[in-house]
Amino acid sequence: MSRIFSSIWENFKEYIVLVALLIISLIALSLNQKPAVKKVKSLAFGSFAAFTSVISDVINVANVKSENIKLRKLNAELMLKVSELRQYGIENSELKSLLGLKDTTQYPLIPASVISKSISKYQNTITLNIGSKNGVEAGMPVINDFGMVGIVATTSNDFSIVKTLENVELKLTVKDERSRIDGIMKWNGSNLIIVDVPKTYDVEPGDRIITSDLSTIVAVPLPVGVVVGLSKIETGIFNEVKVKPFVDFIRTEHVFVLRIIENKEIQGLELNFYNH
Amino acid sequence: MRLQYILSIILFFPLLVIQTTIVPLISINGITPDLIMILLVFYAMKCGQMYGTVLGFFYGFLFDLITGTLFGSTMLAKTLAGFIAGYFSNENKVDNYLKSYSFLLIVLLCSVVDLVIGAFFTTIDLNTNFILLFFNQGMLPGIYTAVLSIFIVIFYPKRSIS
Repeated sequence: MSRIFSSIWENFKEYIVLVALLIISLIALSLNQKPAVKKVKSLAFGSFAAFTSVISDVINVANVKSENIKLRKLNAELMLKVSELRQYGIENSELKSLLGLKDTTQYPLIPASVISKSISKYQNTITLNIGSKNGVEAGMPVINDFGMVGIVATTSNDFSIVKTLENVELKLTVKDERSRIDGIMKWNGSNLIIVDVPKTYDVEPGDRIITSDLSTIVAVPLPVGVVVGLSKIETGIFNEVKVKPFVDFIRTEHVFVLRIIENKEIQGLELNFYNH
Repeated sequence: MRLQYILSIILFFPLLVIQTTIVPLISINGITPDLIMILLVFYAMKCGQMYGTVLGFFYGFLFDLITGTLFGSTMLAKTLAGFIAGYFSNENKVDNYLKSYSFLLIVLLCSVVDLVIGAFFTTIDLNTNFILLFFNQGMLPGIYTAVLSIFIVIFYPKRSIS
């Protein structure tokens, strides 16, 4: 018997090992949501990120000069914008107080630097140099000066991994800023698309897309991108809306984590509603 | 040979640092080369198919853990890529492969397999156009990786000491 096994092993060992490892990989795929796996992942990337942060600091120093020039220009433009917005702000608070509405626009920002990026066509992630020690939690939105970057996926003490919008695992409720139409946006490996938009809906190229207040993940209107086209699916009643993100994920170096997390209270209410 | 086994594991870590910090700076329209794949193909060819398969699994395991990608997806893709690269580990021909542009084609083949399988487990749905998926997510990054692997061909010693 052992001779038969030994002969099989000798003749097919490469295939046996391949099949065994593929099975282990498939099992690993099914374990993604297990807390133990998440914990091991956060430990692993936390330890590795300490090394990458050194390299990324060196690269950042080289870019500081050119970035400073850009930032000065941006600063001047923003200064003009701020003075304009301040007027609107005063008007807004006066109108709100007249209507008795609560002010909900105060969100603390945590500045962070990108220390490494895992760029692939389907699972883009970035690692930030801040973690749970700085108050970052999974689910918090990440933005930069152009708009929405992604959502914090995992944190360790000092680092966190962010799933960017160009990650197939991230799906977001968004809204057409002009026509106020909501939809689910996802990354399909090549483009950001809003799926299942009825053909009768008013969405046009050039429309700005922002995060929707229906979203329990990001209930703040953050700029996401601009509509660049509609893929008209011949059969059926739905269109796919192609969106070009405002953020260039590859060039992103500095970001802010918006210190809000998905609203458990709203979720709880909605779940209760559905359960009844 | 034992030194090669150790080197293949040690080299992974600095290469992963480069892959996640410097390689994004040379991306073209979101397409990046995969340095880990070049290393995997090189050692799978040098050390045999069995070792290539196990090394692919190990690289994928570490990559998934460290970069936060879907756990298991890179493991599976790189295991298969290592297995395929191992087919070219014939003792008599391996030096010829590594010294000629055949190496680029082997890297291209393995990269395409790795990327398409990775894409299959993450982006596939009923609306997926397979030809576009193969071209955009397999061929383009695969070609970029293969082009970069030319450095191995150029700097590989003309006469191997081992």
